[in-house]
Amino acid sequence: MDALNNLMYGFGIALEPINIAYVFGGVFAGTIIGMLPGLGPISALALMIPITFAMEPSSGLILMAGVYYGAIFGGSTSSILLNAPGVAGTVATSFDGYPMAKQGLAGKALAIAAYSSFVGGTISIVFLMLVAPLLSKVAVSFGPAEYFALMVLGLTAVVSLSDKSLVKGLIAAVVGIIISIVGIDLQTGTERFTFGSTQLLDGIDFLVVALGIFALAEVFYMLLRGGGGKEPTRNAIGSLKLTRGEVKQIAGPISRSSVLGFFTGVLPGAGATIGSFLGYSMEKRIAKDGDTFGKGNIKGVAAPEAANNAACTGSFVPLLTLGVPGSGTTAVLLGALLVMGVTPGPMMLEQRPDVFWGVIASMYIGNIFLLVLNLPLIPLIAKILDLPRPLLLSLILIFCMIGVYGMSFSVFDLLLLLGFGLIGLGMRLFGFPAAPLILALILGNIMEESMRRALQISGGDWMIFLDKPISLGLLIVALLSLTLPLFKKRIKKIV
Amino acid sequence: MTRLNANQWLALVLALLAAAYLAMAWQIPTFPLPRPVDSDLFPKVLGFLLLLLSGFLFFEKPTPMAGADEIDQEATQGPLLLTPWARVIITSLAIAAYALLLVPVGFVLASTLLCVGLTAYYGYRRHTVNLATSLGVVLALYLTMTRVMDVYLPTGLLPF
Repeated sequence: MDALNNLMYGFGIALEPINIAYVFGGVFAGTIIGMLPGLGPISALALMIPITFAMEPSSGLILMAGVYYGAIFGGSTSSILLNAPGVAGTVATSFDGYPMAKQGLAGKALAIAAYSSFVGGTISIVFLMLVAPLLSKVAVSFGPAEYFALMVLGLTAVVSLSDKSLVKGLIAAVVGIIISIVGIDLQTGTERFTFGSTQLLDGIDFLVVALGIFALAEVFYMLLRGGGGKEPTRNAIGSLKLTRGEVKQIAGPISRSSVLGFFTGVLPGAGATIGSFLGYSMEKRIAKDGDTFGKGNIKGVAAPEAANNAACTGSFVPLLTLGVPGSGTTAVLLGALLVMGVTPGPMMLEQRPDVFWGVIASMYIGNIFLLVLNLPLIPLIAKILDLPRPLLLSLILIFCMIGVYGMSFSVFDLLLLLGFGLIGLGMRLFGFPAAPLILALILGNIMEESMRRALQISGGDWMIFLDKPISLGLLIVALLSLTLPLFKKRIKKIV
Repeated sequence: MTRLNANQWLALVLALLAAAYLAMAWQIPTFPLPRPVDSDLFPKVLGFLLLLLSGFLFFEKPTPMAGADEIDQEATQGPLLLTPWARVIITSLAIAAYALLLVPVGFVLASTLLCVGLTAYYGYRRHTVNLATSLGVVLALYLTMTRVMDVYLPTGLLPF
């Protein structure tokens, strides 16, 4: 009953006209940005931060959440029409979505993607509503040692689940923390790594790093791949109608993948990409016509789409209840919340119920918008894919600049943005994953603070991290998460 | 002498950076009141971690450069200023110039110039569409930021 009352309270906030406008705007902007190849939800969210800066926190997060799941859905459109996923979470959608488009069934694939996203999103919101308050209650008992261990786990999980090298992932994470501690140490007032520059006293804004490492680096990368003329050919959309038999066929995969996707999203480090791949492979395995997967099977579109949207919602669980993001995208969301003056965590449910329940209720509305917006308007929205690439690249640059300058009014930050763009390009070329860096950047300060507070409590005794059972358990899981990929490699070699 | 691979070069650079970082961490002043953990501990831990990881990277087998096969091969043989790397360098210089000219020239002029100039440089030949789109987007952004969101953006040479 409590959950229902709270949800009603949330709807009271989410249904305010201004918030409805934000949900719509967020979903719309997210769909468009997510559709552009290369620009994923992280870039979309980072580009939106300057807009949310002056907003009420609940409205800001409502807008950002809309951008997030809008971007995931937008990614599936370019996956289906161009075989060029705008978002890693929609790569699995292209396996069957693109073959369908080549067979002239793009409309059908897009409709399946829209329905699956809607159902996946809606089912997972129910889970979010039920699981989040429970986890919050557990997390209230967490002390600094447990938080430190949790953040270590969050980082190691993101590193170990990225498909790139473990060592490079760890280096990216360490560099992220190194960047995060530049500036004045708030506990002692000591300057650290400012090189005498007054502009570095407040540290390096995470938006500068996020836009540089993701959006600007993507522009540079596209330039290397020949940014000019070569436009991919887009398949025609065709009819969006589904037959009753087709709806029946996809009902099972959608419901199974929604549940699977949600729980994958809750796990630190997993998220939409792994959720969608798991959903796809699970359906391929159970389907009687599994051998037609990859050749345009409608279940191959439904499963990953339901799973990736559900995982997006799932990833809000650790963010809202523990204040610890489990992925690069939710790390950017956390950064945005901190900018707005809200610190997510177990107390948020008590202190800012408007933000917590307002966002959950807005997700229901956002999912309806996704469906309403995408089904009739998708042929129109898809025209954005025809935007000439040279113009698109220049516009992304302008968005990055205004994003950074509008926040800090600092020319120095624009030059830093350029520096991080080049670092991001280098990371991409040499196979360093960017998500651990951005996550570490957001977590670095909180991690150090937790570690120091824990050590202050213990009088400098490092055993505090091992004496507390929850902290010990989390650290063991963190260690396992790092060693498992090594074992997997060994086993693969032996087999 | 055997040649170093990409990972080994990267590892050496990172190790040097880690050493420099550690040297700086040791110069962080101590807090006058004794406390179990001071401002220098975390940076020192990070410095040693980076050094250790550089060691691991040195011995890791390198993978082919990501996307190296996707680099526009036609363009690499074209005019020097249009090669893929030249595009990155010129774009970087344009961004640096934009950052330095933003305040004196103003947001609208500087952004339109950057957008139109780079779009044309990247090979888009419909100049009227380019100018109209760039100016339209920049003006829309400018008006939204200054009039709706009350964010100040430099006016520069223009009177508004």
